[in-house]
Amino acid sequence: MELVRDVIGVLSFFVIPAIVVGFPLYGLYKRVPVYESFVEGAKDGFTVAVRIIPYLVAILFAIGMFRASGAMDFLADALRPVLSLIGFPPEVLPMAIIRPLTGSGSAAIIPDMIAQFGEDSLFVKMAATMFGSTETTFYVIAVYFGAVNIKKTRHAVPAGLLADFAAMLIAVWVVRLLFG
Amino acid sequence: MLNYIWAGLIVFSLVFALVADVGDLARDTYRNGEPLPVALDLPDGYDAEARRQPVTVRLDPTAYAQFYNTDVRPDSAYAATLIRTQEGEQIRFDADASLPEPLATIRDVTNPREEQLQGEVIDLADNGAALLAFEPVRFVKMNAISAAALDFAEVAAEIALGLIGVLALFLGLLKIAEEAGIVYALVKVFRPILKPLFPEVPDDHPALGMIALNMAANVFGLGNAATPFGIKAMEELQTLNTTEDTATNPMVMLLAMNTASVQLVPPVLLLALMGLQINQLIFAIWITTGLSLLIAIVAAKTFGRMRVYRRSDPNRPPDADAPDALSPTA
Repeated sequence: MELVRDVIGVLSFFVIPAIVVGFPLYGLYKRVPVYESFVEGAKDGFTVAVRIIPYLVAILFAIGMFRASGAMDFLADALRPVLSLIGFPPEVLPMAIIRPLTGSGSAAIIPDMIAQFGEDSLFVKMAATMFGSTETTFYVIAVYFGAVNIKKTRHAVPAGLLADFAAMLIAVWVVRLLFG
Repeated sequence: MLNYIWAGLIVFSLVFALVADVGDLARDTYRNGEPLPVALDLPDGYDAEARRQPVTVRLDPTAYAQFYNTDVRPDSAYAATLIRTQEGEQIRFDADASLPEPLATIRDVTNPREEQLQGEVIDLADNGAALLAFEPVRFVKMNAISAAALDFAEVAAEIALGLIGVLALFLGLLKIAEEAGIVYALVKVFRPILKPLFPEVPDDHPALGMIALNMAANVFGLGNAATPFGIKAMEELQTLNTTEDTATNPMVMLLAMNTASVQLVPPVLLLALMGLQINQLIFAIWITTGLSLLIAIVAAKTFGRMRVYRRSDPNRPPDADAPDALSPTA
């Protein structure tokens, strides 16, 4: 396992160079007019970015308002009794709620928790595991679907949220198992 | 579902903000209009002529807690400046003072720009005892949600525009990859793994190659590259879509896998926050990532077979809803 981790860690340094240098190099070998093709493809960068804007604005401002309203604290209080039933520590609930909503917001929770519980506490480990093993679901939806103008998301949201929910429970369980 | 979640976020933020603000009014959290008793300590002695003089504001913790009806215990002394204006004398707390609640909130609301809490000095006695009157504070949360809505709209546009460069770079490289046949090669290599997950995508379709690149970039924690690849994969999948605005099953699958994260290299941000501790956590993260990815895949597949979502499938066969066509078509 240690070896696998190191190999992946080292490989990750070479992926970008392999793409950035490798693609044009192989293109040259295949006699593709690399510069022309690159520029041709790169043109879309602007249009795609602009196409995403309305989707991202819609998602982010709603989430921003929700966070600013203090609803998160209320939710954390309201869910506390339910959570203790399933063995989910309420201390890590803020991370579980905010993680699918915002990346920067959930990252900000970790230093707070370190200050409150100490670096070695199980809660910090659980929160960090949650952070590291899930993505900002709503941001991904806005960007990926926004880029192709998909408005009717069908089962993307339930599937993504279910996976997030599962990840939160699994994170608690795995950290208990490994460190508890 | 997104419609309801989105509207829910907005409506509930209004409701919660209202509840919090009305609660503040009812509890009189900020004691609007009632001056706070403090003691002013002038190190250089009181100078009736000076326009600005340094001063130490002393708060009696018990009296403070009683006055604001709070559990917060303030420090006993805060650095500030005594300013004489035409209207009278004013206290300005230093900008970096770590004020106790609710004074910190009063500062943020009444003087957000300079971050200095200011209060009117009333009845400065010879022994330094005085009363400080702050500007009234009302509807803190209402203010906060309006500010957040405007701020985040701006942030969203900034994020999207900030993607332009990276998007252009990788979309350019992908164009080369397409023309050089790299994408097709990737399709052939990864077809056996990806085909079961994306059965609706034709065998030789470039979408599979883009998906493979997206997943690879994700595994190595290269969010910057993963996003353009994912967007390109979505564009390829969109060419197979018969509608303009409705997600197809492969799109939902790609999205579910991306939201579940398939990352094996810990995110840089987490590394910065946790330092070397991350080494202990990496296996916990792997296990969680793997299991949640599995659940995302199963969820995308299962939900896709449900009646509601089958009916909205842009690529459904025309008679899929007929009672005799209940067997899964995918």
